[in-house]
Amino acid sequence: MPAPRANGPIPRILLLMATHSYRAGAFLEAATRLGLQVAVGSEETHALTHLNPAGHLEVDFHDLEGATDRIVEFAADHPLDAIVATEDEGVVLASMASEALKLTHSPLVGVKAARDKYQTRRALAAAGMRTPEFRRFSLDDDPEQAARGVGYPCVVKPLALAASRGVMRADDPEEFVSAFERLRALLRSLDAGDGLPAQATGSQILAESFIPGFEVAVEGLLGAGDLTVLAIFDKPDPLDGPFFEETIYVTPSRQPAAIQDEIVQTTRQAVSALGLTEGPVHAELRVNDQGAWILEVAPRSIGGYCSRALRFGSDTSLEELILQQALGLTLTSTLPATPASGVMMIPIPRAGILCEVRGMREANQVPGVEEIRMAIPVGQPVVPIPEGSQYLGFIFARGDDPAGVEAALRRAYGRLEFIIEPPEGESSLQAGMVHG
Amino acid sequence: MEQPLIEITPAAQQKLLQLLAEKKQDLLGLLMGIKGRGPAGFEYVMRFVSAADKPEDAVALTAGGLNVFIERQHADSLKGARVDFSPMRGGFSIDNPNPAWAWDDPVAQAVQDVLSGQINPAIAAHGGWVQLLAVAEQVAYIELGGGCVGCGLVDVTLKQGIEVAIKEAVPQIQAVVDRTDHASGTNPYFQPDKADPHHQPSKGGPAPQSPFG
Repeated sequence: MPAPRANGPIPRILLLMATHSYRAGAFLEAATRLGLQVAVGSEETHALTHLNPAGHLEVDFHDLEGATDRIVEFAADHPLDAIVATEDEGVVLASMASEALKLTHSPLVGVKAARDKYQTRRALAAAGMRTPEFRRFSLDDDPEQAARGVGYPCVVKPLALAASRGVMRADDPEEFVSAFERLRALLRSLDAGDGLPAQATGSQILAESFIPGFEVAVEGLLGAGDLTVLAIFDKPDPLDGPFFEETIYVTPSRQPAAIQDEIVQTTRQAVSALGLTEGPVHAELRVNDQGAWILEVAPRSIGGYCSRALRFGSDTSLEELILQQALGLTLTSTLPATPASGVMMIPIPRAGILCEVRGMREANQVPGVEEIRMAIPVGQPVVPIPEGSQYLGFIFARGDDPAGVEAALRRAYGRLEFIIEPPEGESSLQAGMVHG
Repeated sequence: MEQPLIEITPAAQQKLLQLLAEKKQDLLGLLMGIKGRGPAGFEYVMRFVSAADKPEDAVALTAGGLNVFIERQHADSLKGARVDFSPMRGGFSIDNPNPAWAWDDPVAQAVQDVLSGQINPAIAAHGGWVQLLAVAEQVAYIELGGGCVGCGLVDVTLKQGIEVAIKEAVPQIQAVVDRTDHASGTNPYFQPDKADPHHQPSKGGPAPQSPFG
């Protein structure tokens, strides 16, 4: 049963979003369409706060107690009906502040576990789920000694970064040492202030056995522990390393119904094992002849601009559904608006300065392509994974079937050309450190 | 004797004729217009055009042997302007007596007053600014500039700041629409997914550019 409204007929929602958010527009548009009052909590004071003090709140995502106090204080003047984090940075704070204000949300312990890949592995293993062998190392450990303590092939990854950042495959001890040192350099550069602020999970590395197979993603919405699957995305490009850059997502899945059932059941088990009960979840899985394996379950929705690939009912966005669920409102529709849709995250081929994008008009003319949205303006530095965290942009397509959507995405991508000049006097790794 | 629409000083004429000669192309003369409004007022277009490029309805005049064409829609805003050239003052300069922020429509003027008086002074701290493009059917069309272009939180600026302030001060406005090309931002204050708390954008508006740069 929905909780009573703190604001009468017009609910107020607090959106926690990082200043580097891709999602601000989509969530604010959704809130407008739903007629909500909105406050935005971010890590810096907004320049126009004085014009709308009920609409802005400065919070430090890494000072959870302090930020929770700020939100509770804010809510005393501007009562809140729900708190939603638009991406990873705010999910733990959203849970903690919701608990303090007795708002419906996934429990803090579950959200924290889901934000930490090592804790996720432990929770899934404890629940008896299919789990790769895994081991956690400190950044201060000797990589050569660590290399003797893992099996091969394996995957080295950070505990908390997203978008495949810092994830590398190692097929032997030599590659492991190289990957370990590269990830250590990346995490230390972030800790030094060249990226994400310091966090507890930034001082450790996870190594786990490589799981062969194909990859899928599940987008879902939890309510009282019950998972509604909104989409299963196929990832038709193989993700076998040495890095794991995402490219194409297409839904609905073309996998047989039995495999899709297993994917959904495995996701349900993982969500339950982690203790997540409310809000959006984005799960990544690998599937092989042994079954489905959870790579991660994030207590947030799909990242970047990718949610634009999903529309429901007549024209409802994923963000509208998330806000409806958070407020205990009836979901407009969870049925896809079109038979098939997809997104291609345009990879960054090399480090440098993005000087020019060619072929945009030709790519936009590919039948089925809805939009091509650049994420990095011309003139800005670009850094590929594993050090980088961005994509050049996103291509969106819709159609009557997933194969047609995938073909449209590939055709549009084939018409684009990105002119990237090397940064003067810098190696690509140095560029990654400076700009990642 | 009727005053010319704009004045091109002898120094500016000489420099423009020199630049025109250096182009070694079949160019007709100078086209002038207004590109937009930035934090310092009007932003101008000045470029050489061929007969094929020249807008058909442009207002034509001559200054010391130089053909000058004024974009018809900007003729009123350029009336009485003086174009000068001085290497000591950084090249070309335009002294324009017309107010950059005057609108005939009182609703548009009220929106402009909000932007000039409340919004622009505040977002200037982030190197940003906003200009009003038009008001039509209860909708204010705006364009953002500087650090706002491509900024990850530009929608927060728009929905939680600009729109709220405009609607409160000008109840006739029902919506504010951003017409900015955010993919062209060269210095966004907060770049999406570029988590760099030490990012120091340049302050103020764009660097002044030579019209022929």
